[in-house]
This record gives sequence, structure tokens and C-alpha cells, in this order.
Amino acid sequence: MPVVTIKLDEGERHLPFEPGVSLRELLDTTDIRVRTACRGIGACGLCRVQIEAGDAGEPTPGEYLHLDDAELAKGFRLACQIMPTSDLQVTILARSPTSAWRNLPLANRRFEYLSTFPRRNVTPKMLNPYGVAIDLGTTHISLALHTLIGHQRLAGRYGLNPQIAVGSDVITRLAAASEDAEQARYLRDLVVNGIAEALFDLGLREGLNLEQIIRLTLVGNTAMIALLSGRNYTQLLHPRYWMQAIDCLPEDPQIWIDPWGLHPEAEIVIIPPLAGFVGSDVLAGVLAMNLTDTSEPALLIDFGTNSEMALWDGTTLWVTSAAGGPAFEGSGLRCGMPAEPGAIYRVTLNDGVFDPLVIADTAPRGICGSGLVDLIANLISADLLTSVGRFAPQVPNEGVFIAHGERNIVLTRKDVDLFQRAKAAIGTGCQVLLREAGLSAQDLGRICLGGAFGRFLDVRNAQAIGLLPNINPDRVELYGNTALLGCEDLLRSPVACEHLNDLRTQTTMINLGQCDDFDELFLENLFLQPS
Amino acid sequence: MHNALMQKLVQALIDGDQATAVAQTHQLQAAGLAREAIITDGIEAAMTQLDARCTVEQFNLLEIMLAGRAVMSAMKVLYPGDAAMFPSQGTIILASLEGDVHDLGKNILKMVLTAKGYRVVDCGKDCPVDRLIATARQEAPLAVGISGLITTVIPQVRQVRTKMHALGLTQIKVMAGGAALKQATVQSLQVDFIGETAFDCLHYVETLPGGAL
Ligand code: B12
Ligand code: FES
Repeated sequence: MPVVTIKLDEGERHLPFEPGVSLRELLDTTDIRVRTACRGIGACGLCRVQIEAGDAGEPTPGEYLHLDDAELAKGFRLACQIMPTSDLQVTILARSPTSAWRNLPLANRRFEYLSTFPRRNVTPKMLNPYGVAIDLGTTHISLALHTLIGHQRLAGRYGLNPQIAVGSDVITRLAAASEDAEQARYLRDLVVNGIAEALFDLGLREGLNLEQIIRLTLVGNTAMIALLSGRNYTQLLHPRYWMQAIDCLPEDPQIWIDPWGLHPEAEIVIIPPLAGFVGSDVLAGVLAMNLTDTSEPALLIDFGTNSEMALWDGTTLWVTSAAGGPAFEGSGLRCGMPAEPGAIYRVTLNDGVFDPLVIADTAPRGICGSGLVDLIANLISADLLTSVGRFAPQVPNEGVFIAHGERNIVLTRKDVDLFQRAKAAIGTGCQVLLREAGLSAQDLGRICLGGAFGRFLDVRNAQAIGLLPNINPDRVELYGNTALLGCEDLLRSPVACEHLNDLRTQTTMINLGQCDDFDELFLENLFLQPS
Repeated sequence: MHNALMQKLVQALIDGDQATAVAQTHQLQAAGLAREAIITDGIEAAMTQLDARCTVEQFNLLEIMLAGRAVMSAMKVLYPGDAAMFPSQGTIILASLEGDVHDLGKNILKMVLTAKGYRVVDCGKDCPVDRLIATARQEAPLAVGISGLITTVIPQVRQVRTKMHALGLTQIKVMAGGAALKQATVQSLQVDFIGETAFDCLHYVETLPGGAL
């Protein structure tokens, strides 16, 4: 793969890339963003870089307008206009301040034109109306902005849900809200303001007018929607409501038009969850994957702190949820972190030495879910870790050393234990669903994976340690945020909305808590071995 | 008669035809039309018509940049040799804020004010609020004028007066204008004045103590 080398005051960064994206898009996936105020169409002229070495191609007409001859002679260019095809060395002339909101990973882009649902007809109140899809997750909030008359996603953002300041898991937040109405209001304001900030970042950096947004569609897990609405969130603390529909839609979502800066007549649509533990995010994911379109059995696993699994057997959609903990998202581990710049996302073992790959080629700051899967699979194959989760005697007490960084990055025994639990929760969930549907893993035509891993997961390694059923790896499909993709369909297509409502009637929920042999299955799944 | 001439100017500006635009402007002046009328009925009308082409779907940068260049040449006809002016009035600071690279309107404002004897300090386009305020601190102007064409600058506009007051710069008035700001109210933008056109801006400045002739 060709590499773009970015020269910064702090040192050099190497960004390998697949040709086909602009230099700006490449930078946008990292923490080194260039200043921008348009969608990368050469209009604002702010995204200036200097080419130090390599062939960046001929300047475009837009560049000739913004850069004079002297600047062009010095190698000044506009990052959005350059489509690198081979190695380049670049200095950034105008760096953007860091933001809590990042561009959606490029992997999510491949979906842009694939949606199978027909578009909504809009009676334009304006020349070019926009719509926004939001996935309100426990850990992350993701947004995608679309033009409603064309068929493209114009831009997207994701960032941490600011409610994390109150508690990283759903229960802490629900409990805080239930104890004190003031806290409930605070939690709601945190999300409302978070969404406002993300939209603002979108508007400012892409030069998009938020007042052109005439429709906003939001999906989320049940707790997040209840906290946003401020309604019946206390019910979610009681297990008896988990399998029941919760009345948690806001009385008047239009009150958010103003703080979010939308068109005054914009329509805000919150997609209702199915039950306490099946949010509209899961349903949206099933929709986007076209999971139920054929009679072929298919499984969707959405990895997260709370992982959801949905199995289609040809007639029924079996859905369950397993709180495996945030190991896949990199939380709770000694050196864990989300799949962000600085995270080790892939690990190979060469002659007893680990060779880690780091997102955005920064100094490693930690290890994310896919890196962890690779690491554990490698340790097992090198006999440094047993399938029970015990390190070999030669491994020092402080754990396995992986890389030097700002601090040493290690994997401890406790980390392995946390990983095993998260893996076992998912394995058990899948097994129970298959059993209820009377299927075996070999019957599955597809396994769709969404969530934390994104495109980085090494499927064979995941199978080697039993995280995924042992079927032909070609049948495993990797996606980023499936809920957001589904929400985009719902935003754009009334047919998708009808389809979603059909899904509601086809769904049977399985409560793992009421599964008699859960303990046995969980124990079996704790082993780090092929299932 | 004027109408037909004006129509030709508008067309030339839209086409980005610099030479014709300049010629038409001369003719309109010769026909006795005021600069004010040429700007509002000619230049601004042309830009409004270009609006549609500036949308995401059908954006043609070159077209609009050429139109921009034609506008600037027509302005030079209307306000020749502004650089040689001797300022006889107070100072006005102008800027387009961070993320906003539109400066045609701001430049018109600059020419109108300069022609009337004001000393204009131009902070340029894409100017961070903090730099604008630092300049205000240095130059002690009668007013700062913000030209906003893109709605994302609104939150920045709201900060200007508060930040200046915090530094004790309470005498300096804050003015706003441009397509993205002119529909707003002075309360919502937290400014002292909002104007439709460059001339509204001039009239307002003239009412300020130390601003009148
Ligand atoms: C020319 C133009 C450009 C040129 C700018 C060239 C330049 N050097 O200025 C170029 C091609 C670079 C450009 C780029 C973009 N543009 Co543009 N552009 C326009 C266009 C067609 C005309 C604007 C203009 O110059 N008007 C003429 C001047 C004379 O009018 P004015 O600025 O309002 O000024 C007058 C008065 O308002 C007043 N006034 C002005 N300032 C002040 C200040 C004070 C204090 C007072 C009292 C009065 C006052 O006096 C002036 C004379 O009377 C408009 C469409 C439109 N009709 O407005 C879009 C428009 C402004 N652009 C737009 C956009 C979105 C962009 C882009 C982001 C492209 C894109 N679609 O992705 C980029 C990047 C811009 C950025 N980040 O800043 C949008 C803004 C949407 C919004 N509301 O947020 C518009 C409205 C088009 C649209 N409908 O989509 N653009
Ligand atoms: S010109 Fe490159 S981002 Fe605007």
C-alpha cells in the first residue's frame, strides 16, 4: 500500500492508504485534521498543505483560483483536491483545532449507494433539503447528513456520548436519573448539547447550512431514548420491563429544533424501541443488513458494551442481548482504548516479537478490540496462553509486553479474564438463539458484524478463539455502525419505515436471564478455543 | 431605459464577463444612476441569481469566482482609487469570521466607507473572533463590522460583544450584515446594529459620536 507521510512538529506520521480517497478524507480519519469550511469541493480554499516530495498530480481549476503562482511553485496545494496514488510527503499549513467529533470511518462509505430502499419524495421547502440520521448509543453518538433530493451522504460525525461523565454504563445513568430529577435533566441536556455540538462541527467544517435540515431521524437503545425523552426511564431498572414495550417517546421532539439549529419546520422522528432491551438501533441494524430479505438463515452480531444478536431463520427474527462488558470497545482493560488514532488494531507475532499496527500511525496509546483478538489468538498459537486463560510460566507477573508508547502497553491476566467474559456472553447468546431456532452454525448463510470492531477484525483469529462460529470466513461480513446505516435508510425511505414495522411483528425476544442452562453454556464459551 | 442597461450589467456579472461589466457600469453612471442603485439593483441582484448555482448539487466554482472578479472590477469603477483617500473620519474594523471565506460584500462595505473618509482596517476573511478583538483593542475603532454569508458563523457573532465588554471595550459598537445575518435581530445576535446593505452600515456609522461629518 502507498503511504502518505505527514510532517508535524511532533514528528512524522505514516498513513497507508487505498487510492481513491482525497488527502483531506485520509487526514479526516485521523487526529491530524486540516482546516476546512466546505465539503471538500475546492470552494473554501482553507485546506492548504505543502507537498514536500512525491507526485500529487496536476492542480485542479479550484486550486488555481485559491493559490497563486508563487504558492503553487512552493508546492502549496489544497488537500481536498489531491487524490494520492503513490507515496507523498506532506506538511500541513493550516491545522484544524482538535474536536470531540470525528469524521465517520471511511469504511462506512461503501454503503453510500448500496441502500436497496426507494427514496422518500420530498416537497422541497427549499432548493436542497437535508436530512440527518442519528444513532444514539451508550458510548458513542453517530450522525450522518444526507441530501434528500440526491442520493448521497454528504458528511458524518461520531464522538463520545457526553453522558459518560455520569457513568459509562446504562444502569449507572438510569439509577442517577431515577434518584434525582435534577440529574435526569442534566443527563438529557448532555445529549441534547452533544448532538448540537456535533451538528455544529458538521456545519462549520463542511460549510453546510443546518437550517436546510428538514428531517431528523434518531434510533437508539431503549435506555438512551428514555433518558433523552425524560420518560419512564425508571422502568428500565426493573427486569420485568425488559421484555415489554416501554412508553419512552418524547412528548414533543420539535422542542429540539431550536437547540439543534434545524429548519423551523423540521420534522424530528424518534424511532420507538421494541422493548426494554431491544432498542430501535438493533432493528435498524437488521434493516440495513437486509437480514430478513431471503429465507436463508443469517445472524447479526452488534458488538458493544451491551452486545445485541439477531438471528433470522427464514420466518422469525430471534433477538437477544448480552451485557458482556466493554472489553471489545477497549474499556476496563489496563491498556484498552476505542478504535481511534493511537490504538493498536492489528497484531502479528514474528519470531516471538509482536508487530503491532497503530491507527493513524501515532505512538501507540493502547489496544482496541480487534488488536486484542489478534493478540490473544497469537498468544495461544505461540503457547504463551492456555485456552483456560492462564499465561505460560515464562510470562512475567505484570503481563505480556506488547509495545512501548507513552507508557508500556501490556496485557494482564485480568484483561484476558475480562475478554473471556465478554466473548462468552456473545457466544452464549448466539448459541441460545440458534438452539431456539433449531439451527446450527453451519446453516448460516451470512454472519454480519457491526460495532466496535469496524473493518479491522481478523475473522480467522476470531474463529480460532471461539469468538465467532467456525463457518467459511467468506460468509462473515464486517460493517461499522449498522444501526446508523439503518437509520439512514429510515431517514430516506418510507418503505424502510414500513419494513421496520414488519420486523416488529416478526420478532421473538429471548431473555438470556431466563435461560435454564445459561451457566453451563457460559462456562463452555469461556474457553479460548474454536467453538 | 435604465432597466435595460441594468439588465445588461446583471447578465454580464452572472456570466463573469469582466469587460462588459465594466463598460455597463460606466454607462449606467453616465446615465446618471447613483452608485447605491447600481449596487443594489445590479450587483446584489446578480449575486442573488447566482445563488442557485452555489448549491451542493450544481456547484460551479469557476462560474462564481469569475462573477466575483467582475463584481470587484465594477466596484472599482464606482469607487476609483480608494487607496489614495486621506482618512478624515474614525476607524472601522471589518471582518468575515472563521470558516467564512465570502468577502465580496465586505469589500463593498470597505469601499463605501473608505469613499466617505473612514479609515478601514480589514481583518480579511476567515478571521477568528479572538484576532478580531485583538485588532479592536489595538485600533480603538468606532465600530467593528461583521459580514456573514454562511450561517455557521452565527455562534461566533454572538461572542463578539461579550468578549469585547469583558476587556472593557464597551465604547466600540458591533455591526452585522450579509445574507446569513441580516434576517436576525440585534438581540439574538447580541450586536448593536444589523444592516441590509452597505449603505445602511454607512448611515449607522454616521450617527455614532465621532462618526458624523
Ligand atoms: C459568491 C459566492 C461564493 C464565492 C465567494 C467569493 C468571495 N470572494 O466572496 C465562493 C465560490 C468562494 C463561495 C464558496 C462557498 N459558498 Co458561497 N456563495 C456565493 C454567493 C453566490 C454570493 C455571495 C455574495 O458575494 N453576495 C454578494 C454580496 C455583495 O452580498 P453580501 O455579502 O450580502 O453583502 C451586501 C449586504 O449584505 C451588506 N453587507 C455585507 N456585509 C455586511 C456587514 C455589515 C456590518 C452590514 C451592515 C452590511 C453588510 O452589504 C453588501 C452590499 O450591500 C452566495 C449566494 C447568495 N445569493 O448569497 C453563496 C452562498 C453564500 N455560499 C454558500 C456556500 C454553502 C458556500 C460553500 C460552503 C460551498 C458549498 N455549497 O459547499 C463555499 C465555501 C464557503 C465558506 N466556507 O465560506 C451558501 C451559504 C449557505 C448558508 N446560509 O450557510 C450560499 C448562500 C449559497 C447557497 N444557497 O448555498 N461562495
Ligand atoms: S477547499 Fe478544500 S476543504 Fe474547502
